[in-house]
Amino acid sequence: MMLEMKPNLAILVALGGLCASTAVADTLNVQLSADIRSSRPGVNRDALSDSMALNVSEGLVAFGQRGNIVPMLAQEWTVAEDGKVYTFTLREGRTFHNGAPVTADLVKQSWEALLAAPKFNCASYFNGGRGAAVTSVEAPDDRTVVITLDKPNAMFLKYTAQSQCGGMAIMHPDSFDADGKWDHPVGTGPFVFGEWKRGQSLHLTKFADYVPLEGEIDGYAGRKEVLVDDINLVVTPDRATAVAALRSGDLDIVPFLSTSKASELSSDPAFKVQSAPHGGMITLLLQTADPVLSSPEMRLAIVKALDIPELVDVATHGLGVPNASLVPLGSIYHSKVQDERVSYAPDKVPALLKAAGYEGQELVIQTNRRNPINENVAVIAQAMLQMAGINTRIEVLEWATQLDRFRNGGFQMSAFNYSNRADPVLAYSAVVASKEDRGSAIWDDPKAIELVKEVLQTPDGDARQALFDQLHKLYLAQMPFVMLANNLDVSVSAAYVQNYTTWNGFARLWGVSLKK
Amino acid sequence: MIKFVLSRLLSAVPTLFLVSVAVFTLIRLIPGDPVALMLGDNVDPQVYAAMSHQLGLDRPIPVQFVLWLKSLLSGDLGRSITSDQEVLPLVLHRFAISAQLVLVAVTIATVFAVPLGMLAAWRQNSAFDLGVVVGGTILMSIPTFWMGLMMLLFFGLQLGWLPVLGYVSLGENFWDGAVYLLMPVATLVLHETGILVRMARASTLDVLRLDYVTHARAKGLSEGQVLRRHVARNAFGPTWTLLGLILGNLLGGVAVVETVFTIPGLGRLIVESIFGRDYPVLQGCLLFVAITYVVVNLIVDLCYPIFDPRVKSA
Repeated sequence: MMLEMKPNLAILVALGGLCASTAVADTLNVQLSADIRSSRPGVNRDALSDSMALNVSEGLVAFGQRGNIVPMLAQEWTVAEDGKVYTFTLREGRTFHNGAPVTADLVKQSWEALLAAPKFNCASYFNGGRGAAVTSVEAPDDRTVVITLDKPNAMFLKYTAQSQCGGMAIMHPDSFDADGKWDHPVGTGPFVFGEWKRGQSLHLTKFADYVPLEGEIDGYAGRKEVLVDDINLVVTPDRATAVAALRSGDLDIVPFLSTSKASELSSDPAFKVQSAPHGGMITLLLQTADPVLSSPEMRLAIVKALDIPELVDVATHGLGVPNASLVPLGSIYHSKVQDERVSYAPDKVPALLKAAGYEGQELVIQTNRRNPINENVAVIAQAMLQMAGINTRIEVLEWATQLDRFRNGGFQMSAFNYSNRADPVLAYSAVVASKEDRGSAIWDDPKAIELVKEVLQTPDGDARQALFDQLHKLYLAQMPFVMLANNLDVSVSAAYVQNYTTWNGFARLWGVSLKK
Repeated sequence: MIKFVLSRLLSAVPTLFLVSVAVFTLIRLIPGDPVALMLGDNVDPQVYAAMSHQLGLDRPIPVQFVLWLKSLLSGDLGRSITSDQEVLPLVLHRFAISAQLVLVAVTIATVFAVPLGMLAAWRQNSAFDLGVVVGGTILMSIPTFWMGLMMLLFFGLQLGWLPVLGYVSLGENFWDGAVYLLMPVATLVLHETGILVRMARASTLDVLRLDYVTHARAKGLSEGQVLRRHVARNAFGPTWTLLGLILGNLLGGVAVVETVFTIPGLGRLIVESIFGRDYPVLQGCLLFVAITYVVVNLIVDLCYPIFDPRVKSA
């Protein structure tokens, strides 16, 4: 019976080999660790959905490489003296994927449709929930778009460019079906949204009529030259399978990889491992409302007991760069002041513990296994704190449970990562707030709250730098939590893939080529 | 017969109701909710409240349950919170994928395991028997994720014979589909063979010790005749029952195998909906799994008299 089966197996095996080898030469196979939630930018989204959206669509402005706002579909813009009216002039010659030209009227329609979408993730940024509300979007002529706010808002363009808002992508009305329901994105980006097999794969094809801007790649703007015909995003939830597929050539890029896996692959010449910090934050949160941790001396003792460079190095397998500031290392606002930190001084810990009235009470560090960095941080921090005489225990939670506790402030210490923030003030906004207003607030000092409000209303420039410096000094004085490092973009690609890097938590697919 | 089927189906109604209550309640008792997961660390209480209201999650749980039950009775399982797809077509689509994998695997495993187990019992205490017992124990002890990964690494990576990831439906392209299903099916076949071969061997041993088998041998029937005519059918009964349980279990989704081999089946959908707290999808999936279990076991019970006529008379 076994002998009879062998020829059949051989046929199947041969077919498998054939199938594996018939892939189109200029198709880039990229891992998607989970399927995208929806195809509509800014609506029912997550980081992977944003990643797709930003390759397919464009907004009026975008974030540049250093977190600055740069033009995208808008060639230029002006802000009225009262700070309430933004007038954008559209670039000439831009077209949608269906060939229709980008006009001011279509931009107006697109903005209005997105602002009215029930599940628009960023509604509060534009309806007055977080500052100003958009009162009107007008199109006085084909190339001019005028957006009016009810009050000035220095963050308006930054909110507009945010990835979680889909970069306020301009979509053609053909994106909707006859009933006005969302169908598929018809945008202006360098890739066209192709076949989407839910739970399996998504194809992004080269937009043949796309005209790249002059210059270099600049964050989510700049030169977007597409050098492959097709991107095949393959849903591969299992990390081990993804690495095996990378080795076999079934995948060319794994955009998000754990630091442990990346360090394993970094010595293999068949792969290119890239790692760079982004605006996300690796932190050890402290609950300042907790009876033990409400003492500033206690919090300072914890920080002095932690050898942070060592902790970051081990937790990230040598890929992380310590950063004591909420201003990311790559930001234009990361000044010398931002490099100031509380030094590691375990010898000072006993005196601080005594001053705090600490009597060996157990402190619980919450963590999860979804993100290995969090677990590593918890384990290493626990060891360092125990050595310094601070009694700690680790509680490993499922991610949704830890997030729920975070949302309600239900923790003493928590090894927690914040996702990428495109602007430093958004990082501060995530942390600074009144605990009465927001359970997830970590730092509820009135002075810090006022400073963050002020930064939100201050345009780019020296005044903003001074405010960030003040905030950092205040943070060091109060130590409401432990900022360890910026989160990392760790990607791995096959050696024959040219110019790929994951940037600020997103898979940037233009400028990438295959040289097999 | 019809009366039996109807009574079995009717008796399943309270079971399914209890399952639905349990599923609905338990998933909501787990900390974390879909809105919090959607917002992640961007927690804005106003946005949270607005989205919870939009999804009806701010209503009391009994009210949510009654509304869900009402929709359920009209055949509407709701929409996925994460993907916004209708739950019923989504579950059916994913079930069809899992069913292809499971039915092929269980059929092949049965074809191999049952004769192997019977032969091992017939040759009890021989080297062949020892080999079958040891082999079966090893196969059933190896976790499917490990076996799957080993297959991927060997056939996909080392030999390069089979694609490491991807999926094509058999209906879309039979041969391509077969190629993609080869390793996951083999993984399941090996694991289930280990279980079935032991059951087939044990039940055959029980039958071989019965008086009527001794009587058949005393009549002068050959061993082959004894096995085929008198042992095989009777010994298959317990294995058949086990098959029903295995099928019911596997048709509910083989999450591990589906995850390792990137197959978008029902098991993976269940896992994703648990981690994403996608209540409507999870409720729909688990209710569907419960119904599948009931139906599969009903079919098993209806077929049982083929192997044991005493059941029919009872």
